[in-house]
Amino acid sequence: MTVPGIFSSGGIALTLFAFAIAAPPECLAEPADDRDFAALQANAQKSFKDEVTPFVTTYCLDCHGNKKSKGGLNFQPALKHPGDSASSKRWMQAFVNVSAHDMPPEEEDKQPTEEERQKFLDSIGQIKFLSPKDPGPFVIRRLTKVEYGNTLHGLFGVDPAVAQELPDEVFGEGYLNTLSPLQSEQYLAIANEVLDRILAPQDAPPTAVQQRLFGAEMPKPGTDIRAEAKKVARSLARNAYRRPPSEEELEVLLGVFDLGRANHLPYPSALRLMLKAVLVSPQFLYITPAKETGTGQTIVPLDDHQLASRLSYLLWATMPDAELSALADGGTLHEPTVLKAQVKRMLLDPRSRALFDGFGTQWLGLGDLQSKTFDTAKFPQMTSALRMAMVEEARLFFDSIVRENRSVVSFVDGDYTFLNGTLAALYGLEKTVTGPKMRRVTLTNANRGGILGMPGILATTSFPNRTSPVRRGVWVLEQVLGERVPPPPPNVPALEKQDQKKVANLTLRQRTELHRTNTVCANCHKILDPIGFGLENFDAIGRWRDQDDTGGAIDAAGELPGGKHFSSPRELKAIIAGRKDALARNLTEKLLAYALCRQLEGHDEIVVDRLMATVAKDGYRMQTVISEVVTSYPFLNRRIPETATSPSHAK
Amino acid sequence: MRSNFLIDRRTCLKGVGASLALPLLETMGWAESAKGKSFQPPVRLGFMYMPHGVIMDQFWPKNPESFLSAPPPALESLRPVLDRCLLMKGISGVPIAPFNGAPHALELSTWLTAALPDAATRNQINIAISADQIAANYVGALTSLPSLELATMPQTHKENQEGLNEGYYSHCSFRSPTQAVPAETNPRSVLNRLFGTSDKPGQVTATDPLDRKMLDLVIGGAKDLRRKLPQDDQHKLDEYLDSVRAVERRIAAIESRQKEAALEKAGVSSSKRHASDSQPIEIKIPEGDKRSDYMQVMCDLNVLAFQTDTTRVSTYIGSTPNGVSYPELGFKDEHHSQTHHNNEAEKVRKVAAITKFNIDQFAHMVNQMANLREGDGTLLDNCIMVWGSGLEDGNKHSRGNLPFIVAGKGGGSLHTGRFLPDTKGNQGDLLTTLLACAGVPLDRPIGIATKQITEMKAGI
Repeated sequence: MTVPGIFSSGGIALTLFAFAIAAPPECLAEPADDRDFAALQANAQKSFKDEVTPFVTTYCLDCHGNKKSKGGLNFQPALKHPGDSASSKRWMQAFVNVSAHDMPPEEEDKQPTEEERQKFLDSIGQIKFLSPKDPGPFVIRRLTKVEYGNTLHGLFGVDPAVAQELPDEVFGEGYLNTLSPLQSEQYLAIANEVLDRILAPQDAPPTAVQQRLFGAEMPKPGTDIRAEAKKVARSLARNAYRRPPSEEELEVLLGVFDLGRANHLPYPSALRLMLKAVLVSPQFLYITPAKETGTGQTIVPLDDHQLASRLSYLLWATMPDAELSALADGGTLHEPTVLKAQVKRMLLDPRSRALFDGFGTQWLGLGDLQSKTFDTAKFPQMTSALRMAMVEEARLFFDSIVRENRSVVSFVDGDYTFLNGTLAALYGLEKTVTGPKMRRVTLTNANRGGILGMPGILATTSFPNRTSPVRRGVWVLEQVLGERVPPPPPNVPALEKQDQKKVANLTLRQRTELHRTNTVCANCHKILDPIGFGLENFDAIGRWRDQDDTGGAIDAAGELPGGKHFSSPRELKAIIAGRKDALARNLTEKLLAYALCRQLEGHDEIVVDRLMATVAKDGYRMQTVISEVVTSYPFLNRRIPETATSPSHAK
Repeated sequence: MRSNFLIDRRTCLKGVGASLALPLLETMGWAESAKGKSFQPPVRLGFMYMPHGVIMDQFWPKNPESFLSAPPPALESLRPVLDRCLLMKGISGVPIAPFNGAPHALELSTWLTAALPDAATRNQINIAISADQIAANYVGALTSLPSLELATMPQTHKENQEGLNEGYYSHCSFRSPTQAVPAETNPRSVLNRLFGTSDKPGQVTATDPLDRKMLDLVIGGAKDLRRKLPQDDQHKLDEYLDSVRAVERRIAAIESRQKEAALEKAGVSSSKRHASDSQPIEIKIPEGDKRSDYMQVMCDLNVLAFQTDTTRVSTYIGSTPNGVSYPELGFKDEHHSQTHHNNEAEKVRKVAAITKFNIDQFAHMVNQMANLREGDGTLLDNCIMVWGSGLEDGNKHSRGNLPFIVAGKGGGSLHTGRFLPDTKGNQGDLLTTLLACAGVPLDRPIGIATKQITEMKAGI
């Protein structure tokens, strides 16, 4: 979780805030250069002392400090170290609850004035300047299942599916960078399988791949076999480790070669054993630095080989190609112009579909669509083919925005999509689009177009047998606008608790609106629900409808805080598309977190502020978002943890 | 369920079992105890999970007296082994504040840890070593696999609540506080992992005789690399080293197994099997994606792994807290959506059916164990099989009274055939007690535990 006003993810309360006031928080966060950073920091310190400390002391510490930690929340450490990443989570919570008027609780006698409240909220937005400049760690990272399979393909041309038995995993933010015996066993088994596929059996003539890897010819009698093997080791390790191997690393591989020879293996078989060792080595399975860091260094730039890998796995989910490797060898890859040119080149390469497969599906929540349950009686058309077409539609749409370098706002207001015959039926376009092939289609109906009117997304946010305005509302807020929606409070009475007879004749909208008769629920649902209602014309698999399941007419009208009215999906889309900064910031933050494989915190907010300035100036173009992320401070640098005895933020 | 589970043909392992598995093989460690002395089979410990709680009045017996004669509907399928089951009502879960908004991430991740994630680093995995892994650390070195982790669904659920790492939604086994253990979801791979064999009759994975020595050299190289890296990276390499050593051990065990099998084939009978022991069970990997078939083969693999002493610790996440549905039961609703039933009869009925379905799969496993002879008793006599959920009642997310079924006599350590209606203790106490019964010495209680629940134990 992050600090509000920072990643504009301050929860529902922030949404209120963002919609309701003239200057939404993303505008408060002005880009800062290093020069005036010191000034901003001094300013933040002052406002922390003048506004935050007294407010917290007066209204919060009785329950969240001294000896009490209600709700597990204690502000004492955060007051002492406001810029720590642990503190930023507390500030975020404070922001959400104070701005929603949930805190201080109504029954408390001491209540802040509206002015005090506002000043406190504004000052919390400044706390980011108290975080030290920190790129975050880049702990050696294990290749994901997908990356590992693709890398084997890149090295040897084998089908990436050779890795399919590894446990499935997600990557990006929340990625589990761990290794268990199960995975290691499988790495060995897969290495054996790969070698069986690419190398000839003993005494058979060598395969073409074998000749490429081990040399076209056997060493002539009389040559130094070990020296030949070392040449092979160097080239195998250079490719597989994605950086030049050290002498020490080569000696390990030669030790394996020697082991084979000592056990009377012929030369190619000893090389095979050596290659197997490469494939189970940590240097292959993890992204490791090429250079040892000097003692005393705390923040270092990534070396060019590490950077090449980080970039290549981000955009292609596979190892760097020859061009990237050559730039890394030449030591120029980190130069911004070189790096940006590489991003352009890589995005136009077909391998960049990995960005959708890895990032896009996660962002849009489409990963589970293929296996999601639908009521087959109600939706017999939800076949595997239709689901696949839904995902393809999103993929091609995402891809078009990347390749054509469109504004990220087109994710919401794009007036085209990609359909085949199967999918066209959901759009009512089955007469014009036929056959199994996906093709680009310009849409004349403005209720469609963009991710909000896209069947795959409308389906993934529905229940098996009906729509869920709440889920759709949450999805738009979190995935499109980057808000953080807090979970419902515990023991909340659900909709159905209402007298069944009384609600029997209500439409889904009318029933959902009952949320808002309860003040606890109303705070959030008055924002969530209207967005969902605005999409009620789309059924649970994304078909247009004018009546809901009860036969009642769909009422897609609603109002968002700040008096923005809409009466159709088209008008709702226009309101959302108008929030360009929020859209772009959300996508930038999600992509940066994905690229760094961690959640954003502390200093990252300032990084995002700066990226946003450039991105906005450039018309919110997608390639700019990507290349700004790749050339950002935390992507290019890493923090070296302090020595063993002093973990950071030890208290 | 993973899509590549769709298997093209019905396959049957007839006849392979005998050659691939030698029950109670004295591969490592067992030799000493088996030689000469009267033979005491080891205690095995298994866990099986279902999320979202149960319908209480269909799960708990009415009273201790009627437990055996008139068990509650949910336990019907356990009837044949009820005298070897133990139910304790009153086990409370870990209080989840300050993570009140994440009941489902925590019901699973606290299940075997009895501890909460660290709040300050909640976006990373940082919780506690889990009970199954504590046991694996102690007895794992005696078998070819330290422990077996199985799951019905891929562990890829992503949902961010209370800022907790997504891994908490789908993992319950933690090898260390920061290391979630992934589970195997493909029965065919499990079979290969256990026995180095595939389900194609007679096919055995050949191990390369030089692999172990090669891995030794690679481990040496990894240690060189480790020395040059900063501390965080070193932790990652420690995980690597730990896992590669486990691979070496598994290779050794498989080689030894294969040698034994060859000898047996050549007419030299194995000294490691009791004449009274049952033959290894057959594994039939089903086609199609029927959930019960799938769960049963996973349960069968668990039985075979224990029967052959390939591992002594297993954890099977029968279902994770995300949108699972059970079309086999005649309805498509997602499990979670029905658990918020507000006592509506239809939803209550569905939750009860889902619960019974899950317990039926557990019963499939333990009933089999009860039919396999081992030493002077049955396999189940030497097991502690635990079925449970991380919530009491999914409707209210309550955790005051978690449902658990313990099956098996734990080698005589548990006093079974009883329902204890008024147990005082929490889930940490329960795990601590179970590990003690499995003979695992603990240097401290597990999670929030303060004591053992002595009334569960035999001889009290």
